[in-house]
Amino acid sequence: MDNLANLMHGFSVALTTHHLLLMMAGVLLGVLVGVLPGLGAPNGVSLLLPLTFSMDPVSAIILLTSLYWGALFGGSTTSILFNIPGEPSSVATTFDGHPMAKQGRATEALSFAFLSAGFGALAGVILITLLSGWVAKFALRFSSPEYFAVYFMTFASFIGLGGASPLKTIVSMGIGFTLASIGMDSVSGNVRLTYEFDVLLAGVSFLIAVIGLFGIGELLLTMEEGLKFEGVAAKVRIRDVVLTAAKLPRYWLALLRSSLIGIWMGITPGGPTAASFMSYAMAKRSSRNPAKFGKGEPEGVIAPETADHAAGSAAMLPMLALGIPGSATAAVMMGGLMIWGLNPGPTLFTDRPDFVWGLIASMYLGNVVAVVVVLATVPLFASILRIPFSIIGPVIVVICFIGAYTAAGKGFDIWLALIFGLVGYVFKKLDYPIAPLVLAMVIGDKAEDAFRQSMIFSQGSLSIFWSNPLVTTLMAIGLTLLLMPLIGRAALSLRGRATARSD
Amino acid sequence: MITRFWAEIATALATLAFGLVIVNGALEFGIGWDSSGPQPGAFPFYIGGLVALASLGTLVVTATGRFAGSADLPELFLDRDRGLRVLSFLLPLLAFVVLSATLGMYVATILYLVFTMRIQGRYGWLGTLATALGTAAFFYLALEKFFQISLHKGPLEPLLGL
Repeated sequence: MDNLANLMHGFSVALTTHHLLLMMAGVLLGVLVGVLPGLGAPNGVSLLLPLTFSMDPVSAIILLTSLYWGALFGGSTTSILFNIPGEPSSVATTFDGHPMAKQGRATEALSFAFLSAGFGALAGVILITLLSGWVAKFALRFSSPEYFAVYFMTFASFIGLGGASPLKTIVSMGIGFTLASIGMDSVSGNVRLTYEFDVLLAGVSFLIAVIGLFGIGELLLTMEEGLKFEGVAAKVRIRDVVLTAAKLPRYWLALLRSSLIGIWMGITPGGPTAASFMSYAMAKRSSRNPAKFGKGEPEGVIAPETADHAAGSAAMLPMLALGIPGSATAAVMMGGLMIWGLNPGPTLFTDRPDFVWGLIASMYLGNVVAVVVVLATVPLFASILRIPFSIIGPVIVVICFIGAYTAAGKGFDIWLALIFGLVGYVFKKLDYPIAPLVLAMVIGDKAEDAFRQSMIFSQGSLSIFWSNPLVTTLMAIGLTLLLMPLIGRAALSLRGRATARSD
Repeated sequence: MITRFWAEIATALATLAFGLVIVNGALEFGIGWDSSGPQPGAFPFYIGGLVALASLGTLVVTATGRFAGSADLPELFLDRDRGLRVLSFLLPLLAFVVLSATLGMYVATILYLVFTMRIQGRYGWLGTLATALGTAAFFYLALEKFFQISLHKGPLEPLLGL
């Protein structure tokens, strides 16, 4: 019941005209960012973050999370109308969403997408409401070795479950960690790894990395594909929305299953993209007529959308309660929290309850605002995509570089963003995962501090990571996740040998 | 043109070099143990080493994949048409960065948008100038006036009294 009272207090913080306006602005900007190629949610948050430095943290986080919701919705809009996913996490929505739009059922597809997305997001937020206090209380028992174990678990699950080559994941993650260690070392006061370059004294900002890797890199890729927008015109009428909403309860099983998948993938760092694909595959496999999938089956829109948004909001739980972001966007927001002088993690719940519960309440409100705003503005944003890419592309380039400069007001950051852009382009083409790099940059210092403090406790012995049941369990889960690909391969070859023998 | 095989090799060599640079840089700060715990170089040293090792691993995997006849390695990483498209976008972008650093970001924005729209996109002068000046003016008002954030400026803005 504690949580409920806290939540009510949160609503009293979030439910002001000022905050509602911020939500609307955030959602609109988010949809814009989600619709435009090359500008995704992580990037949008990075670009907006420098503008929030002078804001009150509660208002700032409401603006940024609303932008995130908007971006998720915007990504679905382009998937359905243009067959172009505005966000990686809405790729699975194109499979059935675009065929539906081409059959003249664009409104139905969009309404299904937005309403089920809203459902998924609410499922994620309800989970956060119920669990976050408990997780935070549990995490208060953590000291440095446990924290290091949790960080280890996070990165192990990237390597083991990420789907990319484990070696490439390690490279990308390691680059993130080393970039985080450039500049002033908070423990010893040494200036590390700058190779006498003054511009590196302050370190490399994760904001620049995100803008380069996600923004410029994505634009180069878009340019290479030479894509053309050929959209389906859509006008959303209230009547159609209501009719679609009435059909939604029929898909209760898909909604529920997809929410669960999304929540799980959001809490573990699988992220929204993996969640939406997994949910689509599950829906297809368990459907009575899987042949209809890919040809305009509403369940093929509902499943990935629900999971995508459930994962997006559930990713906030580990960020708030443990200080570990569940997605690249959450990583950027967590970086923002630290810049605003907040310390994400269990102590945040006791130190700044108004912030935590204001944020959670704003998630309920923000998603409702997002569904309404996005339904009302579909035609507007669809028309933005009719502007040729040869105009939009360069304007996005300008926005990215201006954003990179405003992050710290350093001219060098423009060059750095360019380098990150080229790296992002090559990495994406060669299937190096980028999210682990960003996550490692944001939590790199904390992971290093946790490791060094553990070492000081134990006088340099690694056995501290097996010294009590809690830390042992965490490390064991981490190791299992890390070795997952090997275990899977061994199981496969064993089974292969067994069948070979029985033949 | 460049095949995926060579792109993989070049990237792995680059990340290997990055790892080694970090390892070398970390050695300067000591990677052992002193009175205050692990020395500052220890963590970067091991992470840099990990990056180098994983890069070596990618090199080996790529090389063996080539001999085993892996399907996607001989594929083109970038063919002529795609390469030209990327370059036609990348070169003006480079010019924009250089101009931003020398002439300031507002002037660079205007010149860059005029070039991409007028020369590359073949739009009329009116639309081009309206877009370029409009974008620069929007950022000027939003950042300098509303958010009080100043962008990098060159020698031209003071002449206009901005």
